[in-house]
Amino acid sequence: MTEDFTTQQEIQDFSLWDRMKEKRACYSFTIELTARCNNNCAHCYINLPAGDKEAKERELSVPQIMDIADQAVRLGALWCNITGGEPLIRLDFPEVYLGLKKKGLLVSVMTNATLITRDHIDLFKKYPPRDIEITVYGATRETYETVSRRPGSYDAFMRGLNLLLDAGIKVRLKAMAIHSNLHEIQKIAEFSRAFTKDYYRFDPQLHLRMDHNPARNEEIRRERLTPEEIVRLEQSDGERKNALEKGCDTLIVPDFCKTGCNHLFHCGTGNGDFVVGPDGMFRLCMSLCHPDCVYDLKSGTLEDAWQHFIPKVRDMRTNNQEFLKTCRVCPIINLCLWCPAHADLETGRLDGRVEYFCRVAHARAKALGYTGDQP
Amino acid sequence: MEHEVSLDRVYSPSKDIVARDVMGELIIVPLASGIGNTEDEIYTLNETGRAIWDRLDGRTNLREIAKSLAREFDAPPGEIELDIQGLIGELFHRRMVIAV
Ligand code: SF4
Ligand code: SF4
Repeated sequence: MTEDFTTQQEIQDFSLWDRMKEKRACYSFTIELTARCNNNCAHCYINLPAGDKEAKERELSVPQIMDIADQAVRLGALWCNITGGEPLIRLDFPEVYLGLKKKGLLVSVMTNATLITRDHIDLFKKYPPRDIEITVYGATRETYETVSRRPGSYDAFMRGLNLLLDAGIKVRLKAMAIHSNLHEIQKIAEFSRAFTKDYYRFDPQLHLRMDHNPARNEEIRRERLTPEEIVRLEQSDGERKNALEKGCDTLIVPDFCKTGCNHLFHCGTGNGDFVVGPDGMFRLCMSLCHPDCVYDLKSGTLEDAWQHFIPKVRDMRTNNQEFLKTCRVCPIINLCLWCPAHADLETGRLDGRVEYFCRVAHARAKALGYTGDQP
Repeated sequence: MEHEVSLDRVYSPSKDIVARDVMGELIIVPLASGIGNTEDEIYTLNETGRAIWDRLDGRTNLREIAKSLAREFDAPPGEIELDIQGLIGELFHRRMVIAV
């Protein structure tokens, strides 16, 4: 043999990424198959009841999903993430999953694992997912079901998880740190690390609802950890502490606070990936659902959204002086959950300031010993 | 899997992979299990590999493909045949092509 003809690469090392980035190609997307879920977690930003007829009627059909996937593949997408709500609640999930795989996409699935059946296992064994990401709501039945608010869900979760693990399917576990499970978050970490040695992460910051439901938003606020609880938790987790410290060095960018423009977006939103909601609404990122920032793929094309709509959104500006004097020039913005999308979810304004985020960011800065000027 | 690549045989891309052109580069994404070592891997072909791959139409045998490439690239057929055998051996081993 004169040479090696094929180069095998893990997707993250793929040399095409650089060229794709330069050309603003699309390399991945997330599709929310449904907003419905069989659980009823209080902290959830999207869930609607499993039997919600209107929500079901709004969902994209398989051909509509395949059409969007075809367009994404034409833009270069290599990786797709299927999520929900709970994506397995849709009986046509296997058709969607296999359809996406057959388009030459690496496919990840985010699920609560409670609806995994032997048929799913056969499907995943024959056509392996990139990974299955599962959220662990509690390490004991009591805590799990306090969070999921559905009796029987813990046993269903354990059954689903074990089916996946026994079949050797790549599983990654993660958790949300919230009031209802904070007392056993270490146990959840141990549980998760026992199953996925190389991967476990927890998220202590809850987003508000995409549908702005005030009663549900109140429930989310009640589940939110206090800034002190978040900092204590992060400091006790070696990996997370390191990540924050590293982020603190690299992300507290002097040029961010010194660039004197009034653009709203300074993050990577709309660069390389996108999200499609259950009803076919295109979003630049998961949390950005302000009406001026979404595009209906049922009546337009992905190409148009990618080439014309994204640049328009990214060019949005503000003259709100309060914002321009605070968050816009904030030197600790990288320790903060603040971004236009989250600001909108919290305040109804893309340039709103969020007291809770501010308190978390300052508590983090203090814990990391950051003493620079802070608004 | 031991397999002697024969220039007189016809090979075609396996149904267990999806070959895609991304920004002018040919990439091979495993579809079914057993291809590659992890689920996270994709494959690219170098230029020679790509030229050969594009001619695996499920009808033309490797010797014919070598002849057409030799004409197109003005290269000695013997050398091209060796390249083809190398590539097909590698792809067959990875279960990315099948002998028709
Ligand atoms: S299981 Fe997930 S999607 Fe369902 S309610 Fe809980 S957080 Fe939401
Ligand atoms: S909310 Fe506070 S900490 Fe966060 S970016 Fe704005 S000013 Fe900075």
